Amino acid sequence: MSLIQISGLKKSFQGTEVIKGLDFSLGKGKCIALLGPNGAGKTTTLRMLSGLMAPTSGTITFTDAKKGEDIRHFIGYLPQFPVFYEWMSGLEFLIYSGKLAGLKHKQAKERAMELLQLVGIMDAKNRRVGKYSGGMKQRLGIAQALIHSPELIMLDEPVSALDPLGRREVLDLLEGLKKETTILFSTHILNDAEEVCDEILFLHNGEIVESGTMNELRDRHQQAKIDFIFKTKSEEIETYFTNHELTQSVNIDGKRNSVFVKDIERARQIFLQEILEKNWPLEKFELSSMTLEDVFMKVVRK
Amino acid sequence: MIQWMTLLQKELLEMWRNFKWIWMPISFILIGVQKPITTYYMPQIIDSLGGLPEGAVLKIPTPTAREVIMQGLGEYTSLGALIIVLSTMGIIAAERKSGVAAMILVKPVSFTSFVTSKWAGGVLLMWLSFFIGCLTTWYYTGLLFDWVPFGEFLQAYFFYALWFTFILTVSVFFSSMLRTSGTAGFISLAVVIIVSIVSSTLSRWLEWSPAQLTSYANEILLDKGVSEYLLPAGLLAGVCIIILLALSVMIFRKKELAA
Repeated sequence: MSLIQISGLKKSFQGTEVIKGLDFSLGKGKCIALLGPNGAGKTTTLRMLSGLMAPTSGTITFTDAKKGEDIRHFIGYLPQFPVFYEWMSGLEFLIYSGKLAGLKHKQAKERAMELLQLVGIMDAKNRRVGKYSGGMKQRLGIAQALIHSPELIMLDEPVSALDPLGRREVLDLLEGLKKETTILFSTHILNDAEEVCDEILFLHNGEIVESGTMNELRDRHQQAKIDFIFKTKSEEIETYFTNHELTQSVNIDGKRNSVFVKDIERARQIFLQEILEKNWPLEKFELSSMTLEDVFMKVVRK
Repeated sequence: MIQWMTLLQKELLEMWRNFKWIWMPISFILIGVQKPITTYYMPQIIDSLGGLPEGAVLKIPTPTAREVIMQGLGEYTSLGALIIVLSTMGIIAAERKSGVAAMILVKPVSFTSFVTSKWAGGVLLMWLSFFIGCLTTWYYTGLLFDWVPFGEFLQAYFFYALWFTFILTVSVFFSSMLRTSGTAGFISLAVVIIVSIVSSTLSRWLEWSPAQLTSYANEILLDKGVSEYLLPAGLLAGVCIIILLALSVMIFRKKELAA
C-alpha cells in the first residue's frame, strides 16, 4: 500500500535542472532513507514534497488525500536547520504548531507534553527556545513535526549536526517512531541509513540511481570483493589490479585496493602469488562482501 | 478563523515579549506631549535661555487650544510614520530570512491568514499606541489651554490613524516582497515620503489622495468644517490598503520560502 506517489518530479533553478525527474512511491509504515552525496538534491526533493517549494513539473499525490485537499495535513517536516521563535518556550512552540495544524488548545497541550517526553526535553519545556542547545532544538524540531500525528514525517539530515551521543539518541528515537508513522529521512551518512531504514533511495545529481530494500540492494550488488592494503601507495600495483583479466572493477582509496572479482577462489590464488613474487609490501588482506558504502561508491561513480 | 486567531494571538504575545507594547505607546506619548508643553512654557523657556535682548519686542501670539492640538498631531506625521515603519518593516521579511516562516508554513496554515494576522497585529498595536499618544496631547492641551471637544478630537484621530494604517500596510507589503527588513523599511519610507510630497504640492489636483487625510483632519480640529474630499480620500485609503494586502499575500505565496 503506497502512501505517496511521486512522478516526473523536476526542479530547475535559473535554468539549471537540479532534480531531473524523480519517480518513486513510499510504502505506508516504512522507513525510507534518501541517500546521496552533498548537492545531490536531497533537500530540494524534501522541500518539494513538503510543499515549501513548487516543482517545475511533475506531480506528488497522496493516496489518502481528497482532491484539492491541503497535503500539509498529512506531513510533518523537519528542515535541516530548524528555527523557532526564540522568545517562545519549547512547550509554547509545540502548542502553537499543534493549534496551527488544527488541534484544540487542550489536545495540543496533551500531545505536546507527550512528545516532550518522547524526545526527552521535558525538563526544558518552559525554557525559552533561544536558550536551547543544538541537540535540543533538533529534538524540538522532531516533536513539532509529529505534533499533528501526520502520516508521513520527513526529516532533512536529522542527525548530521549532532554529536555521537545525540546521534545515537535520535536514531533510537526514529527506530521507535517507525511503528507509528512513515518516515522519510535524508542523510549522507551510510551507517545511519543502514541502521534504521528498510528501504533506500539513492539520489545522485538529481536522479534516483538506485533504490530498494537493504536486502534487495545486497543481492543485486553482491559481489566478491578482496581488499588489499599495502604499506605504501604504488601505481604499479594499482595498474596491475585494474588491468587484470579477473578484475571487474577496482576502488582505490589511498593504500587500500578493493578489487571486485567474479571468481574469488582463483583471484585470491593468483593475486597473492603475484604479490609474493613481486614482493609488494602487503599489510592486510581481506575477503568480504559489499557494504552499503561500496554500493554507494559504485552507483555514484557510474 | 480559529487558526487566524491563533496567529494573531502569537503576534500580540510576541509584541508583548519584545516590549513593543511598552515602547510604542511611550514613544507616541513623548511625541504627543511635547507640543502643548513647549508651547505653554515658551516664554519661560526663552527667559531661561537668557531672554530677549533689550528693546526687542517679540510678540508670540498665544495659540488657541485648537491650534496647539493640531500642531501636536502634526508632530506625528513624520516621527510617527518613522516609528510605524521601523516597527513593522521586519514583520514578514525577518521571519522568512530566519527560516521560521518555513517552519510555520509546512503546517496547514493559509498564506492569507499568515500575512493578514501579522498586519492585524501591527494595526492593533499602532491604533492603540497612537490613541494613547493623542490622548495625552488632548489632555495636556485641555489642561494648559482649553478643552477641545472630544468628538472632534476623535474624528481627527481616526483619520490620522487611517493614514498611518496606509503607511503600515505599505511597510507590510515591502516586507513580504523583500528579503531584508532594512531595505523594506527604507523603500517604504521613500514611498510614503513621495506620496506625501506629491500630494501636498499638487493638493489642488490630488484632493482624494490618502496623504491628504491628515490635512482634512486638521481642518476638523480647527473647526473649519469637514472637507468634501474627506470621504473619497478615506475610501481610497481603504481600497489601497485592501489592494496592498492582497498583493502582499500573492507575492508572499509566489516566493520560494526555502532557498
